[in-house]
Amino acid sequence: MKVEIVDWQAVASWHWDLKDDSITDELCGICRVAFDGTCPNCKYPGNECPLILGAGCQHNFHLHCILQWLEQDTSKGLCPMCRQVFEFRKDFNTVTKDINSLLMLIDGHKSMRDREVDEEFDSFDDDLRMND
Amino acid sequence: MAALPKRIIKETERLISDPVPGITAYPDEANLRAFTVTMNGPDSSPYEKGIFDLELYLPDDYPMCPPKVRFLTKIYHPNIDKLGRICLDVLKDNWSPALQIRTILLSIQALLASPNPDDPLANDVADDWKKDEPKAIEVAKEWTAKYAKAKE
Ligand SMILES: [Zn+2]
Ligand SMILES: [Zn+2]
Ligand SMILES: [Zn+2]
Repeated sequence: MKVEIVDWQAVASWHWDLKDDSITDELCGICRVAFDGTCPNCKYPGNECPLILGAGCQHNFHLHCILQWLEQDTSKGLCPMCRQVFEFRKDFNTVTKDINSLLMLIDGHKSMRDREVDEEFDSFDDDLRMND
Repeated sequence: MAALPKRIIKETERLISDPVPGITAYPDEANLRAFTVTMNGPDSSPYEKGIFDLELYLPDDYPMCPPKVRFLTKIYHPNIDKLGRICLDVLKDNWSPALQIRTILLSIQALLASPNPDDPLANDVADDWKKDEPKAIEVAKEWTAKYAKAKE
């Protein structure tokens, strides 16, 4: 029998290698794409856009998705799903530029919050003085 | 125009296949980020039996920023102004990408069911509401009967 190959298509499947497999089945809460798919800003999944695993809470996101959210002032540095202060697990092999930006954004929001608390205390002091 | 993000496609499909009770939302053919919305006034509210037209637009940075929503039908409500703009925290500072078009539309429907004159957008309406609530409710009912009629 002679077999002639008329056409062929290469198929590759891609999968995050995580200790906890259940996470890769989840959807990113921001773009609603499965973690095995790419975020809307990336053509291919991979280390440029790793999963960011929540540390304070249990919510996970594509790096670029959570980065874009925390760039918004209105995010106030909070997790979009549960509105707790967003922190993430920092066990990466390589810390890319985008991971660094994420760290800086989270710090920025933290100092904004600290400043607001200070201002509240200041105005509280003013109120006390006025009542004297 | 840039390709429509998957999230918007999914949300649109679900709005059509599994609509929110009392609400319809269809994207415009020419611009899939612009939706034509109709909303039934909630039962036992002054807007009962009314059918309200709204427009909803997903800005380029959606879902980082909330959808822009506006009433097209005239409505007498302390949190909705003459131009149909809506005063609702989740459309402003309390937006989060965890919310969606459907949850936003549900929040607006809930706002119709429970007007909040202490956080007003339409100041004159809110004043009327606080001064004489039964009368304000009468006016809201009149406006509903007059402007929010079902189209033949
Ligand atoms: Zn994502
Ligand atoms: Zn990405
Ligand atoms: Zn969370």
